[in-house]
Amino acid sequence: MKKLLLEYVNVFAYTITGLIFGCAFFLLFINFYHMQELAETVDVSTYNDTNKAAIESKVETIKNNINVYNQSSYRGSLSVYGLNNVQAKLQNCVDIIESEKMMKYLELDEIGIKDSYNFVVDYKNNILNDCLVMQVVSMFNTDTVESLTNYNIISPLVKVNVDNLLDSVNYIQNNIENSDHYYFTTDSNKNNFFDLVKDSYSSTMSSYQNTLDLLVEISYWYRSIVLGG
Amino acid sequence: MKKIFNGLFYVLKFLLLIAAFALSLFIFIRMNMRLNKDIISVLPQFVPFLLLLILFLVNMIFRQEGVTKCLFYNLTCCLALTTIVLVSLRAILDTNMVLNSKYGYGIDFNFYDNFLAYINIMLYGLVLSNILFMFKEKDKNKSEINNESKKFKKA
Repeated sequence: MKKLLLEYVNVFAYTITGLIFGCAFFLLFINFYHMQELAETVDVSTYNDTNKAAIESKVETIKNNINVYNQSSYRGSLSVYGLNNVQAKLQNCVDIIESEKMMKYLELDEIGIKDSYNFVVDYKNNILNDCLVMQVVSMFNTDTVESLTNYNIISPLVKVNVDNLLDSVNYIQNNIENSDHYYFTTDSNKNNFFDLVKDSYSSTMSSYQNTLDLLVEISYWYRSIVLGG
Repeated sequence: MKKIFNGLFYVLKFLLLIAAFALSLFIFIRMNMRLNKDIISVLPQFVPFLLLLILFLVNMIFRQEGVTKCLFYNLTCCLALTTIVLVSLRAILDTNMVLNSKYGYGIDFNFYDNFLAYINIMLYGLVLSNILFMFKEKDKNKSEINNESKKFKKA
């Protein structure tokens, strides 16, 4: 009886050890796999060259449009305070776009998960917050700008676009942050993750280009009222 | 060959246990500093480490061959403890995990926290199997040979 009991205890001990062996083996190798995945890099040299050219072209358009106004030579009927305000705010946005903080990403040939993440964070902080909210939205809430021609047409367009743009990259940041928690590999997870670096970067870039398009629209409105008024 | 591997894993499991304990302690202390909590609140997390260390020492002192000569158990110990060391090191050193640097603590607590339950399961499992292996039946043939050799020596 004692022998039988000891046999059972032994079998039980081996079973528990076997289960722990399986668990440890799985966790150990899934960690190596996850580590490798996080170290993946994506070649974006051509993609960045194209986007850099597009951004520079849009910035140049904004600069040309806002430079049609000169307070000392302006003889129109519109409020110079309003025109000065718009010009200064758009110039601030251009300075932010051309800053080293934003331009450094366009110089990269290869990006990793961290670059993608930093790009989203910097885009949110510098472009969405400092430019769109602090400059553009605040500009459209001032009385002097409200008095400008066609304000009623451009203002709703800006509001709708800004609302969309502000929410456009939150999910990207959350996705990347959640990749730290990824340890049970499934086909769905794997496919998502393999595209995460590239897709996050291109989605952020797309939102960045949309922001620039909006600024170009505003600058064209500004140009038209300066030359028309 | 089996003896060599067993000896290797036997020594390695002590070293890995110390390393796993030290790294876990470091992470918990940092986590508690961040939360302004007392270290006493995380002491239960170190109970399985302590139990395992006591059992390893008991196995060594009382020469419990059911455990010390079990290659599979020693290998599993090494594998489980290596996993804990790797997870701890990744939480501290893997800067590709964005949360590692995001909050500026230098440790990805979220990542470590994901594995905490598995770490406890593995450690308590090793404690339980260690206790069960202690009850292994003594090899009768071997003890008979030993007795005979003792008698022969006396004669």
